[in-house]
Amino acid sequence: MEEKEKKQSLWEFYFKREWSYTTGAVLLSILAVSLVLVTGQAWGVTGVFHVWGGKVLSWFGINADAFPGFNGAVGKYIFANSQVSLTNLGIVLGALLSVLLAASFKYKKIKSRKQVVAAILGGLLMGIGARIAGGCNIGNFFSGIPAFSLAGWIFMVFIFLGAFIGSKMLKKWFM
Amino acid sequence: MSEQTIRTSSRKKTTPEQRRRKKTIQITLGIVLIAVILLVSALFQNTNPKAGFILIIGVLLGYTLQRSRFCFTASLRDPMLTGGTLLTKAVIIGLAVSSLLFMAINMSKFGLDLSAFDIKKVAGNVKPAGVNTAIGAFLFGIGAVIAGGCASGTLMRMGEGFAQQWLAFVFFVIGSMLGVFIMVPMDSVPILKGTAVFLPDVLGGWIPAVIVQFGLLALIYLLAQWWGNKKSSGIV
Repeated sequence: MEEKEKKQSLWEFYFKREWSYTTGAVLLSILAVSLVLVTGQAWGVTGVFHVWGGKVLSWFGINADAFPGFNGAVGKYIFANSQVSLTNLGIVLGALLSVLLAASFKYKKIKSRKQVVAAILGGLLMGIGARIAGGCNIGNFFSGIPAFSLAGWIFMVFIFLGAFIGSKMLKKWFM
Repeated sequence: MSEQTIRTSSRKKTTPEQRRRKKTIQITLGIVLIAVILLVSALFQNTNPKAGFILIIGVLLGYTLQRSRFCFTASLRDPMLTGGTLLTKAVIIGLAVSSLLFMAINMSKFGLDLSAFDIKKVAGNVKPAGVNTAIGAFLFGIGAVIAGGCASGTLMRMGEGFAQQWLAFVFFVIGSMLGVFIMVPMDSVPILKGTAVFLPDVLGGWIPAVIVQFGLLALIYLLAQWWGNKKSSGIV
């Protein structure tokens, strides 16, 4: 019995205990730099989303490459050759792995109509914003400021202002 | 180290027997998932020799984001919503560590005098800076707070099992397509298209750029520290 107790606490120590924010931040930085060192391309998330959308449309016989701004991106697309696609899949699987090993996976269903509206509006704004800015909080900001990019700093100021307005809207309409 | 406490969520209404069963099932599925990830990585290797490495870095990014409850959206939102700045300070620390590492790579590439500088070869992303950056980031910030997750946060919560983020993701993709359309006319206006600017190039070398870069990071860190103390006792 005693050994069993000890085993359980070891599991809790390694797989259940949460890491500090700073531990997370430093590890994310190291992983992002490893990626650049090996592939030459920085970590990004949203750059491929419009291509995914075009790919889905192509299954329904719609040629998204004819859309303005697509420049044949859908026809050329191969999942395994797209770094952003691979890391995105990895992030979903990694988060799933983390909750499974901690035995804390739980399906959280949408609870209200407010959440539906929030997801639709928030998703659309993020998509439009990321494409206009040329990158998201990862590609333009977390991979940008460390590269001494002016755009990274501008992004930081304005995402903060947006988050401020968003918090007001969240409090007023979505909470 | 003394700060590291074991934080486990308490679950009610389940018997110890049910909890043990759930634990066994989930851990088993976790181990199966590791095998699946390795198998998929090996399959992708056939197409792209770096694909396995990239996928596994992605898995580690997702694991780290989840395990440390890391959320860029919260780091921007919480100072206003709750007054908490712990996450904000962590993001600044992450940026400082990355800055140091990226700087080392770029210094070795371009030389200390920037004589070999080429904007296309910068390690990291130097995206076009312009009015578009400001508008895009502003819209992105509103969206991320409303949807309850930024780009990385949405993907992480999809893995954690949040249905709301799966829905947000669908509209994230639709929004991205709309964003591409919107950028087409903007691309012909220089101020709306933006220009890529590498700070050491325009500030006159590495030394002024380093002073500006780390000076600003330190300033924001101190501001966050001051704000956190002012708003609360400093706890999350």
